[in-house]
Amino acid sequence: MAARRRFGPMTGRRASTTGRAALLALLAVVPIVAVVGVSLTAAGLQSVGLMPFIGPPQLSADAWTSETGELIRSSVTSVYIAAVSTVLSLVVGFMLAAYVLAMHRMGRIVETLSAATIPIPHVIGAGAIGLLLSDSGFLERLLGMPDAFPALVSGPWFVAVIAEYAWKESAFVALVVLGSISRSVGDLCDAAATLGASAGQRIVRVVLPLAVPSLAVSAAIVFVYTLGSYEAAWLLGPTSPEPLPVRAVRLFTSVDLAARPQAMVTALVSVAVSVVVIITAVLVLRRHRSLR
Amino acid sequence: MIPVLQPASTSMRRTLPGGLPLRVVLGCLLVAWIAAPMVPVLLWSIAGQWRAPAVLPSSYSLQGFADLATADTARAAVSSLSLGLGVAVIATPLGYVGVLAVRALPSLPGRFVEFVLLVPLAIPPFALVMGVNVALLRLYVSPTLGVILVLVVTALPYTAFMFRSALASYDHQFEEVARSLGASPGQAARHVRYPLLASAAARAFFLAFLVGWGDYITTLLIGGGQLRTLPLLLGSAASTTGNEQLTAALSVAIIIPPLILLAGLTLPTARKRRQ
Repeated sequence: MAARRRFGPMTGRRASTTGRAALLALLAVVPIVAVVGVSLTAAGLQSVGLMPFIGPPQLSADAWTSETGELIRSSVTSVYIAAVSTVLSLVVGFMLAAYVLAMHRMGRIVETLSAATIPIPHVIGAGAIGLLLSDSGFLERLLGMPDAFPALVSGPWFVAVIAEYAWKESAFVALVVLGSISRSVGDLCDAAATLGASAGQRIVRVVLPLAVPSLAVSAAIVFVYTLGSYEAAWLLGPTSPEPLPVRAVRLFTSVDLAARPQAMVTALVSVAVSVVVIITAVLVLRRHRSLR
Repeated sequence: MIPVLQPASTSMRRTLPGGLPLRVVLGCLLVAWIAAPMVPVLLWSIAGQWRAPAVLPSSYSLQGFADLATADTARAAVSSLSLGLGVAVIATPLGYVGVLAVRALPSLPGRFVEFVLLVPLAIPPFALVMGVNVALLRLYVSPTLGVILVLVVTALPYTAFMFRSALASYDHQFEEVARSLGASPGQAARHVRYPLLASAAARAFFLAFLVGWGDYITTLLIGGGQLRTLPLLLGSAASTTGNEQLTAALSVAIIIPPLILLAGLTLPTARKRRQ
């Protein structure tokens, strides 16, 4: 763009370029604004009874006030799952990336394998974790402890759900980190080694700080993604407490049409939590950049 | 998708604590972490009999895959494929023009467009679907079109991101040179810009295809049972117990096509760069 501006001739032509760009922008912006705008507006209207599935519209805040306790419990559950999954994915993802950077041949294998998990849909990941961790699943048979095996699938701590997210997202984190630091990290590690930094110091003082921005961005993405993801929580979680997506979908598909407003409230609360997380992440990233 | 790495430098190699045995152990642990969930899937997909305490199946059979050869599965496969291709064919050019617009617009509107392109990332897909569903019903939009529309919106941030990073490192002087050698703007775009952006376009297409190919919740809620894709078949197989063979065979059938596509996309570029 800079190059085109430098060579670009008269203002008239620039104005027509801007006009054309605005038209191009509309092509991409209109579907997003339409779907998101309609979706949020309709969800809002339905949540207060102004857009009922059947019957006359009637303004009511019941859906917002009636089951507040349940809604808070669902939100806390969702945030717990998302937070633990995010931390695990970051830790394992960073280890994967560091290993790929350090080891030539074995690293290549690790890298190819983790890239191969990226196209696996979450519904398959959830099915796979189910076969691995369930009661009489593969891990239990491997360890040979049928009596003492803990309830990982449908258990109270959402272990299988978290394992599925951590498994899928750690590969994603590793790829993001590798993409952003692989060019610069080798030379900087060489320099640090020449200056006498030990192996541990190089990891903590060189590789980790280089990776922090991409880790922060992927943390926000993983958190928001796991917060809004349905399949694993539905297939592998206990029936109670319900995470936000499971609660919303159950209410939405309920035969009782009166449950619709509550489904919309749950959906809107999920959107609100995601937006708060993203705004926090943006603020933290800004501050981090200005600190450096 | 796979970043091209410089060979590990010697100091990087010494950066991992511990000696060689420890590094090999760490490598095996990481490989186990990645591969563990897929091992029971692969075993179940070819298992005949596999009763509870046995670590390995007592007999093997391809019955799971044979069970897939039904008209229902074939229809679902066609639906999944058309959904993936439909989403990719629409979302890839839209992502490209979106990013072009961001770069050509003055800074304030440009930033606004950039912001809008990222908005779908912030909204959980199920929430997007629930709100828009009523509007789609009232406008008599067919379920298939509705699913494609919502999934295109979901996929746009990814395609836009791919083109954004490709255009960030794209040198416009190549096009200037082509123009100064007498190429028309159209020719410069066709012979210079598009080939240089082809790999980014392929990656964007692949990601958008995955959004449609692997989607569960949007298809379930908007499709309302009329649009049955492979993930939906898998969802109902996985949610009932005793269906391990079918679940596993379906999983393998869903994973293989994108893996082949991924290998086709990454191997040629990786080989070219290594030469």
